[in-house]
Amino acid sequence: MKARARLRLAVIYIGAAIVMLGTVGPFLWLVSSSFQYERQLLNIPPQWLPNPVVLDSYREIFEGAVLGEESGVPYQSRIFLRSFANSFFVAGSVAAIAVMTGAYAAYPLARLDFRGRSTLLFGILASRLIPGLSLAIPIVLVARQIGMSDKIVTLVFINLSFILPYVIWLLQSYFKSIPVELEDAGRIDGCSRLQVVHKIILPLSLPGMTSAAILAFMLSWGEFLFALLLAETPASYTSTVIVSLFATDVDVNFVSIITAGVLSVIPPICFALIFQRYIISGLLSGSLKG
Amino acid sequence: MSPGLLAIFFSAPAVLIIAATILVPFGMAVFLSLHNWNLKRPGRERFIGLENYADWLTDSDFWEPLRITFTFAIGAVILILIVSLLIALLLNEKFPGRGVVRALLLVPWAIPSVVNALLWKWLLDPNYGLINALFLEFRLIETYQAWLGSMPGVMIWLTIAYSWIHIPLATLLLLSGLQTIPDDIYESAIVDGASVWQRFAFITLPLLRPMLSIVIIFEMIFALKVFDIIFVLTAGGPADATNVLGWTIYTETFRKLDFGAGSSIAMLLGAITLALAILFYVFLDRGVEQ
Repeated sequence: MKARARLRLAVIYIGAAIVMLGTVGPFLWLVSSSFQYERQLLNIPPQWLPNPVVLDSYREIFEGAVLGEESGVPYQSRIFLRSFANSFFVAGSVAAIAVMTGAYAAYPLARLDFRGRSTLLFGILASRLIPGLSLAIPIVLVARQIGMSDKIVTLVFINLSFILPYVIWLLQSYFKSIPVELEDAGRIDGCSRLQVVHKIILPLSLPGMTSAAILAFMLSWGEFLFALLLAETPASYTSTVIVSLFATDVDVNFVSIITAGVLSVIPPICFALIFQRYIISGLLSGSLKG
Repeated sequence: MSPGLLAIFFSAPAVLIIAATILVPFGMAVFLSLHNWNLKRPGRERFIGLENYADWLTDSDFWEPLRITFTFAIGAVILILIVSLLIALLLNEKFPGRGVVRALLLVPWAIPSVVNALLWKWLLDPNYGLINALFLEFRLIETYQAWLGSMPGVMIWLTIAYSWIHIPLATLLLLSGLQTIPDDIYESAIVDGASVWQRFAFITLPLLRPMLSIVIIFEMIFALKVFDIIFVLTAGGPADATNVLGWTIYTETFRKLDFGAGSSIAMLLGAITLALAILFYVFLDRGVEQ
């Protein structure tokens, strides 16, 4: 029996090693490549670890952002940091607004008994079934007409509509898990509904709201379609747009392209690892990415 | 205040955002799809009923992308399902370090689809790519290959690259499904002399079926509207081999500027997705009840 247990563990660890190699291997290779000289990348067999560690491509991005055209670095590198800030603005605003407005919308769905409740919930969820591609056409058309194209505020607004249904679903299921007795006690003490929400529900739902905010941030950080369609000048490029500009341009140095890719996944990957518990619970109780 | 009024008051901000960016554009997309509306020929917009739809349905420019979309989506769903089921079974075993493996699963999940495309473009590069180097090292190929340059290689690698970031979520969902299966069912099966394979086929699979169907439905819906990775990795090529419906909608609308035709094919994609979702739901759900 003891030998059997040891065999079981050996099989498990071999499997675990393969899984870990498969999940982080490709990403680590991207990171390693970003610290090498372009000519080293030609080596056969590949050089796994950067030696020496080359920071040129990272320096280019920072110099390019500060010095502009004088720095002589490729266009995409120069505007990368700007797009990075844009992505932070969009994802951060979406997370904050989605949780705020989503919490108020989720409360009646979780707690109040009113006519049309199930219709409202169904409508909110069904809105996610419409593919973004079919909405893109009128959205771009209208945005251009009313002068809202090429603005990151527009992106915040659009991302919100895709993320809100998800946040509302997540929060209403979280609110339901809070004992009604607590709320009743508050009502007896003379709290209005709004006070009940502010003083009892929201403070007790902090973990749920944190998961919702993190997921909202990560999903809007990675959004590409609308960021691409609405962007006309670097003022509104997000990091995913820059990465696509890099990736489809054959003239740019490989290492610069790879560095842009690495930098633009650092925020979501850090989030994922730091807040893994919130994320996993949010993913399992809510819906999905996409 | 009555619960109904309170619900309206609370959910108004969220509902307004969703309505403005989903319902209104959806209505406009339907409107556009019934019109002759090409930005290259302004002033000639007119109502043409279902003509756009009729044109698509009688054109191989619709059926061929549809076939490619389904080839891709079915391949991706099968790959995602098999790999994530294997990983979920592994992570359902108790072993020291399990939490680390589960946390690292979030790394691919956190990578935005555009950066994922960049990563695979780099791995598959015909001159520098790591996959070429590794395959050559293990004598699987004799010279470097342009993997994305011909069929069926391009479709296989596209499916793998796409699936890589979709496997983690499917794994977490299946894992949560596995964890709801009570241990004592397995224990009594062992007492009755059931083999590992029998336990998997007669206990795990049937009890996991609800979660499996959720994963199949969601992954299918996502895969059918694939766009980001196509944009960066293949641009529909080579020679339209990866011209999925998402890419056709994009080129039709934003390159040929035919908003009428683009909207109608986008509607068709939406309708197919929705119909499949309903079909799967009914079909798989009934399977569970039996």
